[in-house]
Amino acid sequence: MSSKITRPTMRSAAWRISLWATLAFAIGTMVVFVFLQGFVADDIQRRTDAWLAGEVDVLGDVAIRTPKNALYSAVVSEIAELASKEVPNKLPTDSGSDDSVFFLQSGSDGSMQLWVGAGSGADHLAAIQTRNMQPDSPTTVRVPGFSIPFRVATIQIADGSHIFLGLSERDQLRVLRNLQLRFVELWMLIVLLGFTIVFYTTRRMLSHVREISEAASRIGHTDLNARVPTTRHNDEVSQLALTLNHMLDRIESSMYQLHTITDALAHDLRSPLTAIRGKLEMSLSGALDSDQSEQIVAAIDELDRLTDFLNKSLDVAEAKADALRLNRTQIDLREMLRVMVDLYEPSMSEKGLKVNVRTTEPVEIFADASLLHRMIANLLDNELKHLPPACALAIELHCEDDSACMTFEDDGPGFDAEVLQHLFERRVKGRGSNGHGLGLAFIDAVARAHGGTVAASNRESGGARISVTIPLASLGPAPTQIPNTN
Amino acid sequence: MRLLLVEDEIDIQRFLLRSLEEAAYQVDAAPDGNTALQLAADNTYDILIVDLGLPDMDGIGLILRLREMGVRAPVLILSARRSVDDRVLGLEQGGDDYLTKPFALAELLARLRNLIKRNSPATADSTRLRVLDLELDLLKREASRGGQILQLTQQEFVLLEYLCRNAGRVVTRSMILDKVWGMRIEPDTNVVDVHIYRLRGKVDGAGQIPLIRTMRGMGYVLKDH
Repeated sequence: MSSKITRPTMRSAAWRISLWATLAFAIGTMVVFVFLQGFVADDIQRRTDAWLAGEVDVLGDVAIRTPKNALYSAVVSEIAELASKEVPNKLPTDSGSDDSVFFLQSGSDGSMQLWVGAGSGADHLAAIQTRNMQPDSPTTVRVPGFSIPFRVATIQIADGSHIFLGLSERDQLRVLRNLQLRFVELWMLIVLLGFTIVFYTTRRMLSHVREISEAASRIGHTDLNARVPTTRHNDEVSQLALTLNHMLDRIESSMYQLHTITDALAHDLRSPLTAIRGKLEMSLSGALDSDQSEQIVAAIDELDRLTDFLNKSLDVAEAKADALRLNRTQIDLREMLRVMVDLYEPSMSEKGLKVNVRTTEPVEIFADASLLHRMIANLLDNELKHLPPACALAIELHCEDDSACMTFEDDGPGFDAEVLQHLFERRVKGRGSNGHGLGLAFIDAVARAHGGTVAASNRESGGARISVTIPLASLGPAPTQIPNTN
Repeated sequence: MRLLLVEDEIDIQRFLLRSLEEAAYQVDAAPDGNTALQLAADNTYDILIVDLGLPDMDGIGLILRLREMGVRAPVLILSARRSVDDRVLGLEQGGDDYLTKPFALAELLARLRNLIKRNSPATADSTRLRVLDLELDLLKREASRGGQILQLTQQEFVLLEYLCRNAGRVVTRSMILDKVWGMRIEPDTNVVDVHIYRLRGKVDGAGQIPLIRTMRGMGYVLKDH
């Protein structure tokens, strides 16, 4: 298993953070722009209106002063055209005629008296007459045939006729559209730049976090001496690394204490056991009658059972604290299983039990050989002790997802229902068992120490099933389990 | 055979002294590392027994110091620790042996004998082993008794070979498991016994003198006289 966990960029936290930050930034700048554009549009309209009001006043003035003769229309047209040339925000048009400005004078009866502009002006007049226009307040008027509305100012002159001056909003809209276009270009550029900066900074920062978590997961089960890398910066991430290292210091020291205690306990109990066993053996070799020697042999057997109990208790206790020490080497589990089944097969067939081993490929694992020997011996001892005659045991070994899976299935009576829930706890044993109830707890302990698991159940067709799963090249628990280890 | 026993527990030292002397070893006992260094400097020993938990120094440290002093004799390490240290395994690779407490006396004696034999020069490994009328051809992997070829499996042959090499001496079940099957386990079932019964059924035919004897509470012995 590679220690480097390569994840797609799209699923990294850096990606998500930069996405959200960019979204917030983009929305914020967009809102600011909308306000700004509204403000600019208002300002342009106000200027347009002021110009229209001024011009319509001038035209009204001219209309009053100019005598109503043949020259009237020529003079007013001239003035109106001059006025149209100084339209605010005007851009030159391709077409010769200027359709952005019109001048219209209507009589008191509503008939058209004078028209300066593109077309006949009838549509404009009709559109204006549908609106109730007030002098001094320019109004927006839509004229059929023109996609862009006109801004129209009006004034009533002394003879009762109305003068209308209209200005297309086209140029005004063009200015606003240009503004929008520029903004969108700049906005996209800035958002992209912002995203890139946020993404790279967060990714750099989070890569430190990932380094730390990778280092921490390596440390867990293999060696407690190692520490996670620290950085020179005094930021939150390096604080995290320091905190983790302090925590590891404390774990290491309590682990050391636990080992000291269990070692001392083992030593203090084993020394007297050794002395007692030696004395018993010596008295056995002395001349005694068979009844006495029988008792001494029984005592030695009891002593050996006590020793075994002591060893297993301490192993289980250490494993429960995830503190079992491992001496790992490369092992072919299939070969180990074959040798052990060969060892147990005669005893099994003596009892009328059948053993069948199914394996297809060599299973190379990096594990503690002596603990695995004891674990498999425990499993086989269990079957040998608890299976009634004429039962069959099927052992299966295969690789699955970087793990070795070993399954023991029998067609015996299975586990007692009340025991099944607590199988891996210490001192749990079925009725009629004469063991000390550590067997399965020990199997669980060995599997856990290697970062594996044990599952026990009753088969539907009757009989018990125990499966042991051990990672092939374990570096401690699988990465996905890290947050759940407690 | 001169033996240096380094053990601080008085009780263990006492019974070991007695049984080692009964087994014809000439034993000096040291209760700590410094005494052991002193004794080793003044005398020459054929073999050493060193307990790992000494009051003044670590047993491994003592062995390394002795090696530096030029002591070449093999060492049997006694350990009351639960896990076997890497350094102990290293020493085992180097020709020494270890035994965890508590142990069977028979096993201690057998391991001592193996260590001495392993380290004595010129025990040309013959291709045939002979114990009374039992004969093993190590090249052909064939065993015969009284000229009659025995039908043994590969595993049974290895077991019989081990018994023959230790003929006349008790071998324990854990020794058999260690040397024949290559594992240090303590099964609480009769797995080794069944192998021995089967082998006995083939080796000790009707009307023949039984060669493989069970020593209650200790192990097995292949008779050699």
